[in-house]
Amino acid sequence: MDDILKINYEKYSLDNGLEVILYPDKSLPILAANIWYRVGSANETKGKTGFAHLFEHMMFQGSKHVPKQMHFKYIQEAGGNLNGTTSTDRTNYYQSLPSNYLEMVLWLESDRMGFLIPALGQDKLDNQIDVVKNERRQRYDNAPYGMAWEIIFSNLYPENHPYHWPTIGYMQDISNITLSDVKDFFHTYYVPNNASLVIGGDINIPKTKELVQRYFGPIPRGNSVKEVFAPEVSLEKNVSLIHEDNVQLPRIYFAWHTTNAYTDQDAALDILSYILSSSKNSRLYKTLIFEEEIAQDISAFQHSAKYGGSFVIVATARPGISLDQIKEEVFRQLDLLIENGISPEEMEKAKNNIKASFIFSMQNLNSLVNHLNEYNFFLKDPDSFHFDLERYQKVDAEAIRKAAEEFLRKPYVELRILPKSITQE
Amino acid sequence: MEELNRMNELSGMEELNRTKKPQPKGRISFTLPEIEKFTLDNGLEVLFVKKERLPIIQLSLIIDAGSRFDPNEKKGLSILVSSLLDEGAGGLGSLELSNAIESLGSVLSVSSDPDAMFISLLSLSETFDKSLDLYSKVITKPHLAEEDMQREKRKQINRIIQAKDDAGYIASVLFEKLVYTVHSPYGLPEMGLTETVEKISSNDIRLFYETLITPQNSTLIVVGSIDKEILRHKLNIALLGWHTHMKPIISVHNPPREKTRLYFVQKEGAAQSEIRIGHLTEGRNKPDFFARALMNSILGGQFSSRINLNLREDKGYTYGAHSGFNYNKVNGYFYVSAPVKTENTKESIVEILKELKGIQVYISEKELKFAKSSQVRKFPALFETYGQIGRSLANMIIYCLPDDYFNTFLDNIKKVTLEEAYEAAHNYIIPDELVIMVVGDREAVKPQLEALNLGSITELDRDGNVIGTV
Repeated sequence: MDDILKINYEKYSLDNGLEVILYPDKSLPILAANIWYRVGSANETKGKTGFAHLFEHMMFQGSKHVPKQMHFKYIQEAGGNLNGTTSTDRTNYYQSLPSNYLEMVLWLESDRMGFLIPALGQDKLDNQIDVVKNERRQRYDNAPYGMAWEIIFSNLYPENHPYHWPTIGYMQDISNITLSDVKDFFHTYYVPNNASLVIGGDINIPKTKELVQRYFGPIPRGNSVKEVFAPEVSLEKNVSLIHEDNVQLPRIYFAWHTTNAYTDQDAALDILSYILSSSKNSRLYKTLIFEEEIAQDISAFQHSAKYGGSFVIVATARPGISLDQIKEEVFRQLDLLIENGISPEEMEKAKNNIKASFIFSMQNLNSLVNHLNEYNFFLKDPDSFHFDLERYQKVDAEAIRKAAEEFLRKPYVELRILPKSITQE
Repeated sequence: MEELNRMNELSGMEELNRTKKPQPKGRISFTLPEIEKFTLDNGLEVLFVKKERLPIIQLSLIIDAGSRFDPNEKKGLSILVSSLLDEGAGGLGSLELSNAIESLGSVLSVSSDPDAMFISLLSLSETFDKSLDLYSKVITKPHLAEEDMQREKRKQINRIIQAKDDAGYIASVLFEKLVYTVHSPYGLPEMGLTETVEKISSNDIRLFYETLITPQNSTLIVVGSIDKEILRHKLNIALLGWHTHMKPIISVHNPPREKTRLYFVQKEGAAQSEIRIGHLTEGRNKPDFFARALMNSILGGQFSSRINLNLREDKGYTYGAHSGFNYNKVNGYFYVSAPVKTENTKESIVEILKELKGIQVYISEKELKFAKSSQVRKFPALFETYGQIGRSLANMIIYCLPDDYFNTFLDNIKKVTLEEAYEAAHNYIIPDELVIMVVGDREAVKPQLEALNLGSITELDRDGNVIGTV
């Protein structure tokens, strides 16, 4: 167990500030390259939302030496897969492909880091604004319950907090993004000193170092990036919201402020969510779905990030059941837990599952390499599997009870999504 | 010394020519994992791949028992069986069983699709014996109790109600109904309809289990860190007493294709239209499968293929559009799928139809080479995780592929000619015999569909009943 979670890696920085992490693993002739830029929607401002995510799209539109559409084509032609994701805190770009294509990957990634702007035109931007607006329609506006997270987070966080808006941005803001905005954003955040590159898999360390230096070394360092200002937040009183949607069954959401990612209490709240909703025997599942059959589904989770965390419980009502009935049962279960604590069996199950899922998660190179970048981002140490698992193993039953008491007895945001009152055929 | 290194670096940089794409360095060598086969005492065939990178053992039982065995009036039966199998087994009630598996940190899952049922277990080596004991109980001694069935039935009916919220789901399910017709065992949604699930009895469940979930009707795939002989021994003990019964024979009706027809389902105020376009085709296990796959990867099978580049990267109508062949055991269908902005519904259909005709007129050597290269070079990645190996092997079983399928895969891809790709485009894409299905906002979309001039438009409700024709 100890050996498995110990990652053999090498970390260093180039003169321009780019952090590089190399992880050799010869079990298959493939490699994964994963770069994190320390920029997400938290770096945006009111009226100018959706930048970081739109920018992720622009990074696939070609650069000075890579024609439009060819970034995707070159990787796919090599038999690889690629994509990028944007969160509140960071943007990542990743690909895995046969290991003899290392140099091509470095060429592609370094070209868009060093030479994106010369290839950027209004036509590309207009096209990707349309694509992103369609992504928003698909995931938010036209998806059942799709508006929930936007409504919850904009009410949980005040207007001056960087988590107030959705990562994808507001429709109007996306439409208003200009070419010069995009260029400024690039120069501010897409600089080597604001990024970390992980390369894992079937690689030769000295050769890889030489190539990384060759392709990324000449890219000039940028200005240092301004730290995001995130005010302390709390709710004075409960916020109750109702949203009508094109859905058949009503759904209720509760969200409380909690704590940031990778803290000890973050782990306690993760385990709490496990005990509440992860299996047939978990408390909320067992009572609401199995025994009383008042809810169709239930989930609880600790959503933690760099500048804040929240604990969320979501349940969909069965036909004919009122959301009040569900709410009453959810809070009854929370009270029971806070009053009586949790059992040693619940604790053991949760810990065994967390341990096993750590091992299961190490199967895939892409996800392992992404994990190294994540640990590096949050904890400054890519090899933090041990630390991370330990954070869960050392939580005791009382810590979980206390976390529930401390955070879940505070005011919360409650959202009810109700079927539209219009008649449907 | 430092200065000298810096000089070297700088001279290195000057040599760097970014205008040329770096070529791959050297060749990679990849050895296919060895697939070992053996048969248990009760007749169950086992495919085993030894993989020792992590202390994990993964089992997957593939049972020839999907929703195509559901009687039409009881559609939804196989899914109900799959959700009932782990609701109590071998003397342990539903919660006890779930508790026992969870305590080990193992993951048990039962699922079902139109062709097969899958009972899978993911376990750490250290808890394998105990996990296998519970796994075998689910396979050989499920309770299938009346009370549990009633509860799972209620859940399933609510899922059917919920699914009507999802325009993409409605479009896909009704498209399948039109392509297969209700006379095919693949025509109705796997989940069933409210009224068909209502009709299922405990007796139906029991009969499904006894006739279909048997060793002779299944294959077990094992990937993991364990010795073959030890595994064989453990499995023989765990699955002792599991026997085979008579299996029903299902005939599959292949409805003829008809002239292109246009269907519409109302979703008031929808910000997008969900489009499905396609028709029935031959199944997967044909020699021209490889030509078909390459042709489709040029047409719409991956991000950088024609349909996506046209609709997304050129026109900005969608976040993503693709085409594919959806295969089942006996036949399959060709489809294009695209959620598009409401205002662009008509143009999107026009562009898709243009691409379907276009692939029959022109395919370049370069495109074919690109498609082959992509398929050939991604081959090793098919065998990366325990789950991926399991899925690759499962495909061999479900589609009755030859034993040497993976050994000959690369050659079969490489030898496809341009003529064969054209032939595939002509044989498997019939632009005049399409089902075109649109789920969207009537007021905004209807005029656009009329302007297509493809004949009458049939409006359906969300269950697929005809409401009217325009």
